[in-house]
Amino acid sequence: MTNYPDGIVKDPPKWLTPQGLLDIVTPVLQGMGQRLGVVFLDLLAVGVVWILVSYTVNWHSRGEISYTLAPWWLFGLVTVELAALWESFGHSLGFKVARRELVGPGGAPPTPGQRVRYFLGWHFTVLPLVGLVFQRPWHERWAGLSPQPISLEGRIPPPWWRTSVGIYVAVFLVVGLAAATSTTVDEESLNRLFTQAWRTVKFWRALFSPDQSIILPSIRDLLVTIFMAVMATSFAVVVAVPLSFLAARNLMRGPLGRLIYTTLRGALSIMRSIEPIVWAIIFLVWVTARRAPFAGVLALWVHSIADLTKLYAERLESIDPGLIEAITATGANRLQVLRYAVVPQIINPYISFTLYRWDINIRMATVVGVVGGGGIGQRLFFYLKNLAWQQAGTVMILIVILVWAIDYLSARLRAKLA
Amino acid sequence: MAEPYLVVENLTKVYERGQVVALKDLSFTVEKGEFLVVIGLSGSGKSTLLRCINRLIEPTAGRIFLSGVELTKLSPRAMRHMRRKIGMIFQQFNLIKRATVMTNVLTGRLGYNPTLLTLLGRFPKRDRELALKNLERVGLSEKAYVRADELSGGQQQRVGIARALMQEPELLLADEPVSALDPATSHSVMQYLEQMNKEDGVTVLASLHFLSLARRYGTRIIALKDGQLVFDGPPEAIDEVKFKEIYGEEAEEVEVR
Repeated sequence: MTNYPDGIVKDPPKWLTPQGLLDIVTPVLQGMGQRLGVVFLDLLAVGVVWILVSYTVNWHSRGEISYTLAPWWLFGLVTVELAALWESFGHSLGFKVARRELVGPGGAPPTPGQRVRYFLGWHFTVLPLVGLVFQRPWHERWAGLSPQPISLEGRIPPPWWRTSVGIYVAVFLVVGLAAATSTTVDEESLNRLFTQAWRTVKFWRALFSPDQSIILPSIRDLLVTIFMAVMATSFAVVVAVPLSFLAARNLMRGPLGRLIYTTLRGALSIMRSIEPIVWAIIFLVWVTARRAPFAGVLALWVHSIADLTKLYAERLESIDPGLIEAITATGANRLQVLRYAVVPQIINPYISFTLYRWDINIRMATVVGVVGGGGIGQRLFFYLKNLAWQQAGTVMILIVILVWAIDYLSARLRAKLA
Repeated sequence: MAEPYLVVENLTKVYERGQVVALKDLSFTVEKGEFLVVIGLSGSGKSTLLRCINRLIEPTAGRIFLSGVELTKLSPRAMRHMRRKIGMIFQQFNLIKRATVMTNVLTGRLGYNPTLLTLLGRFPKRDRELALKNLERVGLSEKAYVRADELSGGQQQRVGIARALMQEPELLLADEPVSALDPATSHSVMQYLEQMNKEDGVTVLASLHFLSLARRYGTRIIALKDGQLVFDGPPEAIDEVKFKEIYGEEAEEVEVR
C-alpha cells in the first residue's frame, strides 16, 4: 500500500471504521433516548394522576376498585394529548428532570405560534417514534424550538406554585394521599379507634400480671435466642468480609469486575428482600429434624450475609484513596497495601456494623422463632396461639428487657468505636 | 554525554471518562541533585505528572527513564522494587490516622521487608532504630507513640517526610506538600525538603502553588498549563510576562513569607 504515490490509495472513509460508525450512531441513540425519556416521563406523570383520581372517585362513589372512569381508549388519548400540550409549553416534568427547557433561537421563550406548531408536529414525529431518530426531530425544526440546558443566568426562578411542575407535584401528593386514605381508612374503624378502647382492657391486664412460674424456662429460651443471634452473626461475618471486597464498586474495575459486582449486588438485594421469616420457613422444611433453632440460625445467617456485605461494601467504597496511594508509593505489594492502607480504615466500622447486626439479629431471632425457628419466639407464639395472654405477657416483658439491654450495650460499644 | 538522571519523553495521559487530556506530549529531563519545582494552576496536570513518574497513574503514552531504566516498561513487580527508591509526600499527608506515628513511619520500609512479617505488624530492630532516628531528624521523637491524628498539620507532614526518609530515597516526589499548611509551617516543611536535597543528595520534584516558595527553594522551575510545558528554566527567569502566561491575565502574585 505504501508503494503507491501519494494520493492514489486513500484511507477508507472514517465512517466506515467500527469506531467511526460508533461515533455516528451513539449520539443519535443518546438523543433519541433522551427525548423518549422526557416523553415517557410526561405520559407517566399525566397517566398516574388520572389513575389515582379515578381510583379515589370510584372507591367512594361505587365502593369498587377500578382505575379509569372513562374507557381505556379515551384514557390513552387524553393522556397523550395532555402530555403533548404540557410539553409544548417547554417546562414539563420530563424537561425539568432532564434539566432542559424548550427555547427558540437565542434562548428566547417560545411564542404562542411556536407552541401550536410544536404541539401539532409532535403527533407526527414522537408518536410514530421514527421521527425521533433525527438529530433534531422534525417537530422541533418546524416550531423553531429546541430543548436546551436550563440556565438561570440573569433570571430569577419563579416560585414553585407559579411553575407547572411545582403545581403538578403538589396535586400528585394530594391525590396520592387521598387514594391511600381511601384504601386504608374507613369511617367505622376510625370511629371505633376513639370509642372502643375499653375492649382491650382485659388483654392489657393479663399482659401486665406476669406468670412467675414460667420465668425460668423462658429465660432459658431467651438464652437460646441470644445464642442463635451470636451464631448467625459470627458465621455471616466469615462470609461477608471476603464478599464485601467483591461488592465494592471502587475495587471491582474492568468488565469482569463490573460483571461480578453487578451480579453479586443483585443477588444480595434479592437475599435481603426475602424476609428472614420466609428464610426460616424454607430452612424449617429443609433441615429441621428435631432442633428447630438450627433452621432459625440459618435463616438469620443468610439474611445477615446479605445485609453485612452491603454495609461493609459501602464502607469500602468510601475509603480514602490517598492512603492507598501513599502506601503503594513506598513499594509495598498488594497484601501490604491491604494491611496498611485498607484494613486500618475499615476495621472499626466493620466491628461496629457487626455489633449493630447482632443487635438486629436478636430481635429478628424472636420473630423467626414465631414460625417455629426455636428460641423465645417459639414460646411466645405457643402462648399466643393458646390465648394464654398472661404467659404471653410475661414473655413479652422479658423480650423487652433483653432488647433494651442489648440496644443499650451495642450503642455504647459502637460509640466507643466511632 | 552522560544520560540525565530522570528523562520524561512525550508523556501523555488521557483519562478514559470524558476524554480529558491531563498531560500533552510532555518532555523534560532532570539532573541528579536538582530541586525541581512544578508550578501551574489547579488542574494543569501537576499531580498527574508526579504520579506518572512512580506509576501510581499509568501513562497513556510516552516513556520515563530513571537512571537509565525505562520505568514505563517495568513489570508490576519490578516497578514495586523501583518505588522503594522513590519517596512521595502528599498534600493531605495520607497517614494512617488511627495508627501511631511509629507505625506510620515504619510503613516506609514495607518494600524492604518480607510480606508475612509485615502483615503481622513486625519490623526488624534495625528499622525501628532507623525510624526513631528519622523522627528525631524531623523533630518528632517525643511523638513516636502518639496517634497520628492527634498531631497538627505541620507535624503530620513531617511524619510523611520521615516515612519517605525510611525508604532511603534517591528521588522525592512532593505533591503540593504545603498547600494544606499555614505560611509559617510551610517554610519549616520546605526546609526539611531542602535539607534532604542538599545533605542527602536526594533529587526533589515538588509541585507548589506559590511562586514565592518556588523561587525560594527551587533550583529550577517548570510550569504546566493545560498539561503542556510552558516554561522551563531558573527561578529568576520568571518575570511578570511569564507569570501572566502561566497563571492567566487576571492573576496577581501572592507572596508567602
